[in-house]
Amino acid sequence: MPTLDDDRFEAYLKQFRPCVPEPLPAVEPPQRARRMFILGAWAAAAVVVLVVGALTLHIHTNRARVAENIGNARTAEYLQDSQPLTMRSANALVAKAPSFKTMVDDMAFRSQTVPVPKGKRSAVAVLGKEKIKL
Amino acid sequence: MHRTHGNTPEIELLYRQHGPALLLFAQAVTGERGRAQDAVHQVFLKLIEKGSLRQVADKKAYLFTCVRNAAFNQGKLRERNVQLDPDSAWFSPPDRDYAGERHLRRALEALPNDQRQVMVLHIWGELTFSQISDLLDLSSNTVASRYRYGLAKLRDSMFAKENSCANS
Repeated sequence: MPTLDDDRFEAYLKQFRPCVPEPLPAVEPPQRARRMFILGAWAAAAVVVLVVGALTLHIHTNRARVAENIGNARTAEYLQDSQPLTMRSANALVAKAPSFKTMVDDMAFRSQTVPVPKGKRSAVAVLGKEKIKL
Repeated sequence: MHRTHGNTPEIELLYRQHGPALLLFAQAVTGERGRAQDAVHQVFLKLIEKGSLRQVADKKAYLFTCVRNAAFNQGKLRERNVQLDPDSAWFSPPDRDYAGERHLRRALEALPNDQRQVMVLHIWGELTFSQISDLLDLSSNTVASRYRYGLAKLRDSMFAKENSCANS
């Protein structure tokens, strides 16, 4: 075969066509992937809303319970420290109790024991220990 | 293939138009048809996913750049001269000239990697020296020089083999 000049040699080389590549593999439709992504995002958002709602409710319930406990404790403290029931202390109770019902209940179940002076015993305690023969 | 993206038909057209030259170029870079095929597929699948070809001015040169990067990223390609797979055909020969195809492939294999890339890009990729210089980050003079050397070596190699075959 005679030696070709550059142009003719290039033309000769171009007669060899590169092999055709294999067809592109099927790809997942982007819209489907996008739809899945959107669904996933909605699901995640719903879960977040539920969790936040549950947490908020839980916190509110705890706060109410704590506030109620504190109110009860304060009333009880007030009643324990008080002197025997008088009109004045009853007025004070009405003023400071969280509700009228609470005040009435507290007064009804209030301990009426008066502290016994040191070195002395109450008559009830003495009689309770005596063995009385009938 | 599913036609779900707006520019998928355009990308498929580009695949049909430039796929063979891109595959040949990837083979010239990787030396293996399988890896070359993977590199080309990877580039086009990514294009279909992202659909980012609208703003590219020179689509053909861009595709060759992407395929070259994909081929290099497949690893084990850092060595300058790769061993080419001798079994797989690179070309559809004219007039069933399979011996000529084999000669051409071996002659290309004998070229240094940088000259082989320039030869493939210019002859079968039909890129200009300017486009090749941008793609390979070389000066146009260097590209032209590599092309001249490559062409001369290719011609010597092919005709020497053909003459030796004819004599034997």
